[in-house]
Amino acid sequence: MSKPLVVFDKVQKHFGNFVAVQELDFEIREGEFLAIMGPSGCGKTTTLRMLAGLEAPTHGEIRLNDRVMNDVAPHERDTPLVWQSLALFPFLTARENVEFGLKMRGVGKAERKERAIKWLDKMGILEFENRDISTLSGGQKQRVALARSLVMEPQILLLDEPLSALDAHLVIRMQAVLTDLQRELGITFVYVTHSQSEAFAMADRVIIMGKGEIAQIGSPKDIYRGPANQFVAEFVGRNNILSGKVASLTEDTARIATSSGDFTVPTNEVRLIEGHTASFVISADLVHISLSDPDDGNKAQCKLISEEFVGSMVTLFLEDAQGHEFKVQMQERELSKFDLKSGAEIWLSWDTASAHVLNET
Amino acid sequence: MSSTPGRKLNLYALTWRLPIIFWQFIFFVGPVLFMVAMSFFLVKNYRMTEAFEFVNWSKMLSRGYFWDSYWYTVLIASISTICAMCIAFPAAFALAFRASETTRRWAIFLLIIPFFTSYLVRTFSWFVILSESGVINGMLGYIGLGPYTMLNTNFGTLVGYMTLTLPLVVILQTVTMANIDKNLIEAARNLGCSAFRTIWQVIIPLSKTGLIIAAIFCFILSFGDFVAPFYLGGSQEPTLPILILDTTKSGQQWPRAAVVAIMMMLTLFAIAFTGIALAYRKGKGAK
Repeated sequence: MSKPLVVFDKVQKHFGNFVAVQELDFEIREGEFLAIMGPSGCGKTTTLRMLAGLEAPTHGEIRLNDRVMNDVAPHERDTPLVWQSLALFPFLTARENVEFGLKMRGVGKAERKERAIKWLDKMGILEFENRDISTLSGGQKQRVALARSLVMEPQILLLDEPLSALDAHLVIRMQAVLTDLQRELGITFVYVTHSQSEAFAMADRVIIMGKGEIAQIGSPKDIYRGPANQFVAEFVGRNNILSGKVASLTEDTARIATSSGDFTVPTNEVRLIEGHTASFVISADLVHISLSDPDDGNKAQCKLISEEFVGSMVTLFLEDAQGHEFKVQMQERELSKFDLKSGAEIWLSWDTASAHVLNET
Repeated sequence: MSSTPGRKLNLYALTWRLPIIFWQFIFFVGPVLFMVAMSFFLVKNYRMTEAFEFVNWSKMLSRGYFWDSYWYTVLIASISTICAMCIAFPAAFALAFRASETTRRWAIFLLIIPFFTSYLVRTFSWFVILSESGVINGMLGYIGLGPYTMLNTNFGTLVGYMTLTLPLVVILQTVTMANIDKNLIEAARNLGCSAFRTIWQVIIPLSKTGLIIAAIFCFILSFGDFVAPFYLGGSQEPTLPILILDTTKSGQQWPRAAVVAIMMMLTLFAIAFTGIALAYRKGKGAK
């Protein structure tokens, strides 16, 4: 897209004997919305805090605009962070909170007020400018916290799970607010979250982290459809993961013998060796169901165990004769045609092209 | 289930509360009321007689030496409060933000130890250190300084006050600051506030309530203390507690001593009330 704004160069972070971040090598591009996602304890927040200068890297370099940031004090950086707990100052009013950073930077009183009002207005909370923080609702506080960071007019905004304390319907609204803001302002957002839906809904690129390492970097679609390894496949989405031995190879497909049957998969660029183990995933939403044997192709016979409704989408949980679990995701109105009961025998099938072979790690 | 449980007279709870109510009446409210009554009594031939005359009040409050003593006590207790708050702050700051949880726990435990021993004993031990042939002057003598007079001065009084108040003030400040949400300090740093500046911009506003309560305690203890100004300050300028002692000794003037005591109580009430009102005042924002 454009030149890198931030470069993480072999960055490590140790806390005593505990290694929070193993070795990070990645770039943040100017103007992108980057999400860093991973389970708790994967080092994503530590990564963000290192960027803000709140933690110092043990090894390696972090560069912002080609400037090495390792020894720059947090208050001398221009990397405002939106905290998970919001960290609004309870002894200040909404507007004073927004003015705080400008005051620290020595901006005059009149200009401070003018800029704070502009941002409160932009966030749609100008009417609360003189209110105590404790009297505001969760969503309003969220907007004050955003205004407090954005009023600094930074090149990059850091967000540490800012939506995790909000109600589900507010999360959706704030996601729209954030993506609109990011597009309008054109500044770089680095968004740390454990929520796949938040990351995939907003980000241009997603970094999946696990155990202090980067597991995969890519666009939400790349990651969703083409998880690089088992960790990503398990962490992201509703994936069916099957493992077995490579029985035969052609130029661009492989036949993999698993305990649930033999399946054909496209090899893509993954190097497979005959006789070695290999795993592949098949997204739950790419699996078809039928009541009768589909004769040929990739298929598995399963028993329906349970269903989970989320709005119009249904996830079926099934098990084959060997006890391997399968997941199928489909529209509720499609499923209703089948009139399934728990324990029903169903055939699953999918196109060979839908399967995705994993790199063994 | 329409009756609110709080409204009903709960005999069980009342029974358990009675002893403390009874105790407070007998040993606190009673004596205070008696003291107020006593301030209107008369002393004739070194004997106190019941009366209702304002003569004690008018005599005491029109005397220069009472007001000298009053303002001196207010001043030195204020200086003591400022000193204790300033000396305690760096220690409490280090314990709250720099020390580990374990160190902090040990430090608080060690700060409680001074309360195990009598304050009078701790005060007397300062004699050894502060006197003209004491430890400090001895050491200063080696480098050709002194001897300095430290006993029977305002400095001596303040040393005594610090002995009394510092451990408590450090504990109160530490506990207050240790409870501050560290995210708020980091947020301030993140918004361009230097580490030193966070003290004024974030830490003091956040710990305002606890700091004011520590200061109130310090003032109350210093204001009413008899031991430090008497033994270490030499009572040249008598504080109010010394004035009370002098008044009772000279001609059995218990009623006039009661006037001084009531004035002290009123002052402390006023200080504590304004202090607490300030401590819990909400931000200037609209509700």
